This record gives sequence, C-alpha cells and structure tokens, in this order.
Amino acid sequence: MSSTIATDSHGLSDSWTIGERVCAALMPLIAVVEVLILTVTGCFSYCPCISIIDQNHKCTYTAKDFAILADETRFTVEEVEALHVLFKRLSSSLIDDDSIHKEELQLALFQTPYGKNLFLDRVFDVFDQKRNGVIEFDEFVHALSVFHPYAPMDEKIDFAFKLYDLRQTGFIEPEEVKLMVVAILIEFDMNLPDDLLEAIVHKTIADADKDNDGKISREDWKAFVSRNPSLLINMTLPYLKDITSVLSSFVFKTEAKP
Amino acid sequence: MKKVRRKIGKYEVGRTIGEGTFAKVKFARNSETGESVAIKVMAKTTILQHRMVEQIKREISIMKIVRHPNIVRLHEVLASQTKIYIILEFVMGGELYDKIVQLGKLSENESRHYFQQLIDAVDHCHRKGVYHRDLKPENLLLDAYGNLKVSDFGLSALTKQGADLLHTTCGTPNYVAPEVLSNRGYDGAAADVWSCGVILYVLMAGYLPFEEADLPTLYRRINAAEFVCPFWFSADTKSFIQKILDPNPKTRVKIEEIRKDPWFKKNYFPVKLGEDEQVNLDDVRAVFDDIEDQYVSERSEITEGGPLIMNAFEMIALSQGLNLSPLFDRHQDYVKRQTRFVSRKPAKVIISSIEAVAESMGLKVHSRNYKVRLEGVSANRVGQFAVVLEVFEVAPSLFMVDVRKATGDTFDYHKFYKNFCGKLGNIIWRPAGTMPNSNLRKQMTL
Repeated sequence: MSSTIATDSHGLSDSWTIGERVCAALMPLIAVVEVLILTVTGCFSYCPCISIIDQNHKCTYTAKDFAILADETRFTVEEVEALHVLFKRLSSSLIDDDSIHKEELQLALFQTPYGKNLFLDRVFDVFDQKRNGVIEFDEFVHALSVFHPYAPMDEKIDFAFKLYDLRQTGFIEPEEVKLMVVAILIEFDMNLPDDLLEAIVHKTIADADKDNDGKISREDWKAFVSRNPSLLINMTLPYLKDITSVLSSFVFKTEAKP
Repeated sequence: MKKVRRKIGKYEVGRTIGEGTFAKVKFARNSETGESVAIKVMAKTTILQHRMVEQIKREISIMKIVRHPNIVRLHEVLASQTKIYIILEFVMGGELYDKIVQLGKLSENESRHYFQQLIDAVDHCHRKGVYHRDLKPENLLLDAYGNLKVSDFGLSALTKQGADLLHTTCGTPNYVAPEVLSNRGYDGAAADVWSCGVILYVLMAGYLPFEEADLPTLYRRINAAEFVCPFWFSADTKSFIQKILDPNPKTRVKIEEIRKDPWFKKNYFPVKLGEDEQVNLDDVRAVFDDIEDQYVSERSEITEGGPLIMNAFEMIALSQGLNLSPLFDRHQDYVKRQTRFVSRKPAKVIISSIEAVAESMGLKVHSRNYKVRLEGVSANRVGQFAVVLEVFEVAPSLFMVDVRKATGDTFDYHKFYKNFCGKLGNIIWRPAGTMPNSNLRKQMTL
C-alpha cells in the first residue's frame, strides 16, 4: 500500500506540474474518521440553535438588521430570517461562531472539509467581500441575492467575472483560464498534455476576446456570456425563489432527529 | 451525418418552436455572432395588402429602438419574395402559461412579482405609443433566470388585424377588454390594462375570470365585468383586481395609478433601463415599402453535422465547487451522478463504438446528433435504468464524452459505467505515463 501510494505520487509529480499546485495530497485514512466525528458533532451542536432562548442568546442580529438586509437585497424580511437559520447551521458546523469558515462551506458542498478545490476557493473569496477570511451573515445574504432567479443578469455576469478573474486584475487572462481548466480536469479525473490544454485555452480566448488584446475584459465577457447563456447556469438557485418553504421543511427534518 | 441546413440571410434556421394561424416561429442562430434568435415567419400577402400597414410599420420601427429587460428585443425585419421574417430575441425559459398549467396557481408574492414586471414592460411601450393589444400568458415568456419577457409588442396587428378582431379571432377572447369586443374604436392603453388584470387573476387563481361555453354569455359577462374572486384572494388583492377589471375604460385604473397602489408597491424593485439606441430603420422601410432589391436570400444547404463544441468556461461551469445547490437541498445524491472520459478518436468512431458495446450488453440504443440514450434492465431485475452519453468537442481532434444517469438506481449506474468503460477501453484516451488512479482514489474517499 505504501509503495503503491509512493509510485502514484511520483507519477503525479511527473505528469502534472501545474496540477500539483492545485491538487491536494491523497487523504489519509485518519481524516475519514475525523470527518465522521466532526460531521456528527456538527449535527448535534446545531440542535440548540432551534431553541428560541438559545437562538436569542447566540444571535447578534436583530429584526432591524434583518429589515436593513431585506432592503438591500432581493429577499423579504421573512426570507432573510430563514437564511439566518441556514447561516447559523453552516457557521456552527465545525467552529461555533457567527461566521462561515472555508472548511464549513466545503463541508456543506462536498461533505468533507478536506481536499482542495480552486472553484470553491473562488466562491468563498467572492462571498467574503470584507476580505477578512470568513463569511459574515450580511456578506452571505448580499452574495446569495445575486443567485436569486430575479436578480438582473448583469449582476450574475459580473459575479461570474469576479469568480474567474483569479488574480483580480480586472481581466480573465489565458494563464488563469489554463489553471481553471487544469483544476476542472482534475475534478473529472482526467489529465491532458500541455499542448492540448493550450489548444482548449487558446480556442476559448479567441472566441471570447473581441478586442483582440489577448485577454477577456468585462465587456468581452458580457458579450461572450450573451452568446453562451449556459455559462451562467450555476449563477441561479431556484430554491431562493421560495426560500421560506425550502428551509422550513429543512429545519423540520433536522428538528425531527433528536 | 448529413442534414439540411436552411439559411435566411445570415441566420441558420433550426426547429419550429411555435405555431399560430398567421405565423410560425423558428429557432435560429446568427452565423456571424453565434447569437440565438427566434424568427417569426409570415406570408407577405397577409400583411402588405392590409390598410394598417403604416401603423404596423411605425410600431415595428419603435420596437426596434426599445430596450427593456422585460420586453423581447426585436432585432430586425427581413423580407423575401413571398415572406416577411421578424428577427426576435430568443428567450429560453419557456412560457409563463406552461408554469401556470404545471403549478395550478402561483402564490400572491410570485404573482405580484410577474405583474410588476408586466406593468413595467407595458408602461414602457405605452409611453412610446406602442400598444400590445394581445396580452395573454402565452405571450409572456420566461428567460433562463425566471424573469418575465413580454413578446409580440407592436406585432399583434400583424396577426389579428387590429379592429377586425371579432371577425378573425380563432380563440375565445378571454383576455380582451369589453370595449374591444364592441368593435368600436378603443384606447390601446386602457385595453392593455384590462388584459393585465385578467392575467393577474389567472396567475393567482389558476383559472380564467371569464370563461363560458357559449360566446354570447361570455361577451355579456365580460361587458358587465361579472366575475368572482376565489376565497384565497386577500381583501387587498380583490380590491386591486376590481379596479383593473372595470368595464368602463374611462374610469378603469391607469398604469400610473397602479404604480401608486400599495398592493403593487410591495417588494417592488424598479428596473434599470438602458438608453434607447440609435438604430438603423432601413430594414423596416425596405420590407413595408416592398423594395425588391433588398430581398433577403433564402437557401438550403446539405452539410455534415458535428458534435457540439464545448469551450473552457462550459467545462469550468460543471465544477461541484461552483454548485451551491447542496446548501439548500440535503437530499442531493453525493455519489457522483456524472462521469466523463476523453477520446481522440473521430466523433463518429466514438458513437459507433458506444453503440456496438451497448448492443453487445443487450441494451436498447437510440442515437441522434452525437447523443446516445441507452436503456436496459437493472442488475437486480427490479427496475429500468437509462443512461445518456453526449459527445462534445473540446479541442481539435479531442472529444469529451459526458455520461450521465437518466433514470434508475445510482449504484446500478456506477456498476454499469465501470463495465461499459472497460469494454470501450480502446477509444478512451489515457496519456502515456499516467497511472489509472481514479479507482484507487475513489476507494480511498469511500
């Protein structure tokens, strides 16, 4: 087993110079046990939040704060309150504080807090508008407002642009596209030689780059997305249209556990 | 495979997506920009011999200028020897009508939201002197994000011949204002407001306010505004709808009054309007003045089809890291439902290999346009399962085959996938020097 892993690791380093930077090492068995323990712990630690008394004690947000967030976003006050229930569950799943850490977001999306995913990193960074390393509730609500089915397409286009502008230079550059293609191929359990990666990136940049400066500006991106609407398919969450019923059934099921 | 490709000018014409008495609507693609459009096709004889040609021309010219997020954009108008083609924005989310049919009725909040977008669109056009005259749920489209798009502004006269409605309508006029039925001159703005009220009622009730088996009774009830609100309408909603469905156009509520109503203003977000552009109207003039030397070319060509081309961002959008649905839906299956492989064989070889292997496994095969559906009985013989494979070109001579479960048990699917890919081995490309580590990795994570 040890020898097999070593060989595999060696093979990876030979073939995937770029991939190696993105790809995490294989998960040791002990991590599996830790994940199980933490998942169960997270589940139990959530229960007190259902109680009104405990919820009042833990919450730092008031009805007035909910109303302000409702005014600033596409959600009603009731929907902001429902999102707060979700936020409390996420933010206490690993570390019981009033913010979502990256590991907690990863646990929610992948069911494991370990491993590396470039795209999850980007989602986390764009949600974290204050750049303080955690997602606070107001950041959470503002970001999800962009995923609302009724949010203007311009907001979705802009959010997606920020996701893909890895170095925040104001352009999506060929090297950034290549990093992302490598990352998605790793997720697909595929790898490709460099010349094919370059061909994919080059063709995409050529399609999108209308002003021919070798990179994708915001204007290029907007025109490109208008021609290929499927690029924004994950920028809309239908659940957000009826969030109170989605989350009320969610809470009910959770409540049924103890 | 060979297929016939029709072109109208620069537009490659695809499937028919709508059909009416006077017009057919086709999906098409602008071969210069790649943009999807809808083309409304009409016989010239229906239109140019009509006395309202000048009004139609004026309204279409205005619609070409208008930019509004809740109005289907009119790109241009073209004519051939026998046909007129109206090139419209393609809206991919379907009709609001289908949603009502599917859901029965919408909540008050959701209905209000669509109504707000509808009023924004109607108001915008009325301010420019264009009336719809044929508002009904079938003309209300939803884009990919669920936003309302009103179709056919300025076009109703092309298909209903305006004031001759009584003599030409093929359906019952459930959405039509009483003054329109009386076949006198009428105010387009007031008539559209009435239709908006009927639409709001339908959204919230799930059925029409005026619906009778015989036309005379229907007309009498519309003229008297004789309708009943269902018990689940709140008092405010009833009051609001009654102001709109006032049979007297002079006392009927106007759009500016609708905007001030508290019912309307709840959770209302004013839409951000872009500037109207300076656009060339020569195409409209050429069509309606029947200028022959500007006829558009119509041609068919036989071409070799190919698989869809997938760009880098379409691949990236498939990442689980960009999919936030698990935050809201705990029941999502964490076992990967999607699987993929790459191949450097020609696309046709990939398809024929898939078909051959599937048949050798006793599966039923349906192939079309580089997409294959496989159907069979699950391993435990209890149910059916189906798998869809689709070929995409990601680079010259490099194809990705997307394999996904359509129906059946997930674990059956993964057994199938492993078995199937084992048999396909010769077309699946693995670069030299790479260990086949995916199985090992999956075992570790499980």
